[in-house]
Amino acid sequence: MISFENVDKFILANMCVHIPKGVTVGLIGATGSGKTTFIKLICGLLAPDKGNVYVMDHEPVSMLGKREAELGVLFAQLPSLQTEETVVNNFHSLKLIYRLKESFFEKSYKTLSERLGFGGFQYEKIGNLSMGQRRRAELGAALIHNPRLLLLDEPTIGLDMNGKEAIRALIKEREAKGLTNIVTSHDMSDISDVCSRICILDKGRICYYGRSDILFRKYAPVDVMQLTLQGGIPDIEDLPVKSYHIDGDKLKLIYNSNQITSAEILKVILSKASIKEVSIKKPNLADVIMKIERGIADEQFY
Amino acid sequence: MPYIAFGKKSFMLKSAYRFDHFMGILNTIVRIFIFWVIYKALYGSRTEVEGITMTMVTTNFILSIGLEAVFYVHDFYLPDKIGNGSIATELLLPVSIKGRMIAENLGNAFFKLLYHFVPALIVSVIIMGIEPPASVSMLILFIVSALLGYGVLWTISFVVQMSAFWLINVWSIVTIKNVFVNVLSGSMIPLWFMPDWMSGIVEFSPFSSIYFTPVQIYLGQLSSGQIAYKCLIQLIWIVIIYMIGNLLWAKGKKKLVVQGG
Repeated sequence: MISFENVDKFILANMCVHIPKGVTVGLIGATGSGKTTFIKLICGLLAPDKGNVYVMDHEPVSMLGKREAELGVLFAQLPSLQTEETVVNNFHSLKLIYRLKESFFEKSYKTLSERLGFGGFQYEKIGNLSMGQRRRAELGAALIHNPRLLLLDEPTIGLDMNGKEAIRALIKEREAKGLTNIVTSHDMSDISDVCSRICILDKGRICYYGRSDILFRKYAPVDVMQLTLQGGIPDIEDLPVKSYHIDGDKLKLIYNSNQITSAEILKVILSKASIKEVSIKKPNLADVIMKIERGIADEQFY
Repeated sequence: MPYIAFGKKSFMLKSAYRFDHFMGILNTIVRIFIFWVIYKALYGSRTEVEGITMTMVTTNFILSIGLEAVFYVHDFYLPDKIGNGSIATELLLPVSIKGRMIAENLGNAFFKLLYHFVPALIVSVIIMGIEPPASVSMLILFIVSALLGYGVLWTISFVVQMSAFWLINVWSIVTIKNVFVNVLSGSMIPLWFMPDWMSGIVEFSPFSSIYFTPVQIYLGQLSSGQIAYKCLIQLIWIVIIYMIGNLLWAKGKKKLVVQGG
């Protein structure tokens, strides 16, 4: 679907990546790490200084403004709708631009306006809307033609919880249908909820690209289990844990989930003692990103 | 083709602004009236100056100022989009920005033709009077030449708008362009009254092609050979200026794609 071959552009240096069809990739990185440049190269708004970019077997610059590009794009900072026109008028213009059939447009508009919640202010001019309202309409505009490739740059800025949930659900449905999505966000819950793959950019270089579960296993495989036990602390010397701490009837275990699973630990403990309470803490995506970007060692991280 | 729909939409949107619509008619009539009064005072008791009658002058103002009202060109269409960055998202859409701009401008122009030009023409003819067209064929050729005149004006605006790729504020350039168009197109000072050396230069500029050529055709001042020549000149100007605009457009787009803005 998308290939970067030794691409140099602005901060991006010698970038090589292949994104297959039908996945949702979360693009993560600090401000200035090259996320927007990456997105602009994919949609053809930037040409690489060196190397090649291919999207659906074409160079995106050559496909700029062509219907065959089948792109849906939303940039965080760039307006995509006409401010002096109403929401509904903007969508009617999009219907003409994408040459959508009336029945398809009506169905798509109804679904998106209901799910993203812009039907309630569809007769308002875009310029009079709040940031969150405008963002809902802009997301609808990026999705109205059901593009094969959807590029969303910070899609949830300004959205409330309902709005965030709606767009996350729409992205998941698209992936289930075999459509490709690329999402950048500073909100890690956006990424961890919807993205099957993660691409971490740091100063223009890819630190990690792959499945999110592998990211955890590779960079932060250590879980923390807290137990409150009844009838004393059993002997756990044989368990392959990194460390353990005992405080009265409380036991805290830190272990590598690649070496032993939570179920295996619980099975051993249950055979020797009764458990009153148990909690397992796994690092979240934000923790992992911080660990990678700051180069935090395992010992300091846990 | 979505462009006809864009034109229609633009026409419909324009009709929503009723106050603007009435003010537009009033503005056109007032401007014609002011120039008529000034030239009436200058003519005094004379019926003609160097072969140009007061009725010819009045006809020039009614037609050129009327056409000015019809010839709608949104000089900030692209500069606004370049300024706020939406040009980038527009470039991604599978539709020509230039095509959309022309369609929307024509939609507005058609609205102004029906609702500004025609009422202003009727009122002006009743109050000030106008020379009838030299013949039916001259009236048809006047319409053809007026369409070409609009093409010249649109392409000039297109070139001026392209400067927005390199300049932050294009307001001053647009103002200078408008001054040139107003003064050299004959809508403020009929080219008949300019010194020979100046009118000679102006005749070779694209500006006289905008309003003055159609007016001359309407008044029957040009022979068939001269009409063909003048219309050809209009067409050549459209092609040349559009090519310059297109070159700048390509360079501006390249700047956007290579440098990112």
